[in-house]
Amino acid sequence: MPLLSAFKQRCLETPEAIALIEGQQQLSYQQLMQRIYQLSSCLAAVKIPRPRVVIALDRGIDATIAVFAVLGVDACYIPLDMKNPPHRLNYIINDAAPGCIIGKGACPDWLESPELWLDIGQADFAPSGSQILATANPESIAAILYTSGSTGTPKGVALSHRALANFANWAASTFTLSPLERIASLAPFHFDLSIFDLFSCLSCGATVNFMPASLTLSPSRLTAWLQEQRISVFYTVPSLLGFIALKGALKTTPLPDLKTVLFAGEVFPTPQLITLCELLPTVQFYNLYGPTETNVCCYWPIDRERLQPEQAIPIGYPACGALLEIDEKTGELRVQSANNLSGYWQQGKLGSALSADDFYNTGDKVSLNGQGEYCYHGRLDRMLKCSGYRVEPSEIEAVLLSCPEVANCAVIGIPDSTSGQRPAAVVVLKPGAKLETIVKPIKQGLPAYMQPSKIIALDALPYLSNGKTDYQALLYLLEKN
Amino acid sequence: MKKKLRDFIFQELIFVAEPGQFSDDDDLLEAGLDSMGIMRLIMFIENEYGVTLPDTEIEPSNVQSLNALEQWILRHKKG
Repeated sequence: MPLLSAFKQRCLETPEAIALIEGQQQLSYQQLMQRIYQLSSCLAAVKIPRPRVVIALDRGIDATIAVFAVLGVDACYIPLDMKNPPHRLNYIINDAAPGCIIGKGACPDWLESPELWLDIGQADFAPSGSQILATANPESIAAILYTSGSTGTPKGVALSHRALANFANWAASTFTLSPLERIASLAPFHFDLSIFDLFSCLSCGATVNFMPASLTLSPSRLTAWLQEQRISVFYTVPSLLGFIALKGALKTTPLPDLKTVLFAGEVFPTPQLITLCELLPTVQFYNLYGPTETNVCCYWPIDRERLQPEQAIPIGYPACGALLEIDEKTGELRVQSANNLSGYWQQGKLGSALSADDFYNTGDKVSLNGQGEYCYHGRLDRMLKCSGYRVEPSEIEAVLLSCPEVANCAVIGIPDSTSGQRPAAVVVLKPGAKLETIVKPIKQGLPAYMQPSKIIALDALPYLSNGKTDYQALLYLLEKN
Repeated sequence: MKKKLRDFIFQELIFVAEPGQFSDDDDLLEAGLDSMGIMRLIMFIENEYGVTLPDTEIEPSNVQSLNALEQWILRHKKG
């Protein structure tokens, strides 16, 4: 089913049902559709020169309207992480080469291309136009999600209508979403978890409730919010669920409405998952796996009886109709799926990302267990997972090396029981330079989750006899210091 | 107590240029302490000082600064 078909149908069939809630504000399906038509008629009037639109809004009602309005004029949406420093945002915007940037209010000073700015507030006064949302070619690009790139700069994962629809339809049926569902949405829109909230949930006529971000700092308030909002489905990262398991006051905060919890983005430490399962005895948990390039390609419905504290949970069975292969030599997982990306968007054009036989090579090492389930064994390259975000050490290294004071550097991940890994850096400073001079460039060049939590200065990097950086020695030095 | 908290926070959780110049009232959340950092900090405090910090008291105001943290811990050490 095409990406927007079911959503359009819901707007006609249940116009009064609540589609979105954000704090005190809520919109019915009919009101949402009206706002989408208004914004898409603004976009049509602007005659955007290139079919790509950057969304410079935090997740929420406005950003949702923008996503659907952009798709409605047969363009693709590029959500920005507004917490990124301006330098990185401008990089992404220039790389994406959009025809328009939708934001709220006045154009911010840092934006290098102010002529592209469109204030979403203007759409409030727009006519609702032709009231038609385009039905795109399934192979048209619907979204470009920027992620950390191994070449030192962010890269855009370009996803087609076909890819988004394939996942959205699979998730809606696998998790039997009904119009009665109340879904908690926490994922920023540049994070692929949001595809579930936006497309699976709104296609089902359910209510998507945007959780206030501040709740992540206070797990007991978060669970109280889940209770009060009668949330039934929640898709998030293990590190947050682990925090809730340990400190979410769940013993005194029953969540009778919560029935499905999905998690992805990193490995869930099994002891914390066991605690959470005990505290939420009626919830069905699912472990979802897959890089942004394939979205979910493997899933495992948690079988409580098989959880052993010392044993990692499997990533399970093929999902979304994916065909999975394990490279015999390296153990690398290869994925062929209708979810697969169309390519990487870099420097204004689409480059190929799949092998000749249409597989995506994940760079993840996996194996099959005796029950025919896939199990994850880490990365074959240096990529890190930090609180669900993927981080390429080379992108951090590129920022460090851009500091005139830095002669050399290396970034590694320090294992962390709560957030997967944390980036840490070893730098070699030029003579006379001080470590504190590099702090400002780091803060300006990298989003918070990519900033090293620890930086030490050495006279030289340790090398192996083959001339490669000795990452084991670096880990030892960083953990010791 | 503040010295130990300081060492843990600046060595394990957030990187600041000169920890010595970070005052006991400076904002840790602004300096980059996030939800995962708070979780690790709480586990550290509970192990280190043998206190149990009630779930319902984990909120920004209690972890905002080194002074706030110390007062929060002391309230539970006495009681």
